[in-house]
Amino acid sequence: MAIRIRNRIPADIPTASMADIAFLLIIFFMLTSVFSSNFGLQYGLPKNEDPVNVQPLESIHVHITGVGQYTVDRRPATLPQIAGYIDEKLKQNPKKPVIVQTEPDVPYSATIEILDMCKQLRVENISIPTSSEVEMWRAFTGGVAK
Amino acid sequence: MKRIKVQRAGAVIPTASMADIAFLLIIFFMLTTSFSPVKMSVDLAEATTWEEVEKDAAIIAIDTKGTIEVSDGIAPGTVINTMDELDMFTKEVIATDPTKQFIIKADRNIPYQAFNAVYERLRSNNCRRIALLTEAKQAPVVR
Repeated sequence: MAIRIRNRIPADIPTASMADIAFLLIIFFMLTSVFSSNFGLQYGLPKNEDPVNVQPLESIHVHITGVGQYTVDRRPATLPQIAGYIDEKLKQNPKKPVIVQTEPDVPYSATIEILDMCKQLRVENISIPTSSEVEMWRAFTGGVAK
Repeated sequence: MKRIKVQRAGAVIPTASMADIAFLLIIFFMLTTSFSPVKMSVDLAEATTWEEVEKDAAIIAIDTKGTIEVSDGIAPGTVINTMDELDMFTKEVIATDPTKQFIIKADRNIPYQAFNAVYERLRSNNCRRIALLTEAKQAPVVR
């Protein structure tokens, strides 16, 4: 008697569509996620216990008066001129503080531009005075913020 | 003579490993990307010098309309309406972790006074570590 051979269907899980699902998931994540920027300019403030009083006369004062308008130690200057001035002063005293003052109506990006320049020049002490501190200086210096 | 029938293998592209590759890609994206709890869209100022900021730092976002959104770095961002609310938020964060870093994520076009209002509050609430979020400056195109 002949043995009848059965044609058995192999048992496998269909995985062909798995790749489609995975790629759909990738596309979904890529479209819906909001990526965060993790880079910026660090700005550390001294602790209350050891305050560093920055004397205006001992520091470099960069004043942003308008869009693309700057003064450095009360003299009008362009960005490259300010960079050269700060660089020169830092050669004499590497710990020379730089005070960055911005007028209230000037775009915030102008401040970042100066801070970025200071970071490039490796300025160790950068001071960003608040409006109330500027007002105090004005009162102290008789209407002129140094 | 009996004819031997040659069994031909069907032409198929093996796609079994495709799913593995795709899932590896998903895992890679999930591990390497960090999601910002603050969803406010701002046009960041550009800078050439970059320093990495802490991933779990508190975030204060300011857009061109003057809207302020805050997050402690873990919870989703909430919009605040008054500066007193900002005071409360910073005090709470500082009380939990006095060394917590604060990231100011401000739009490049906001007037300086909008940034100063937030900055002044942070200073008065003893926030010692502040970072100003920026994006990479595009290299000039050489023609």
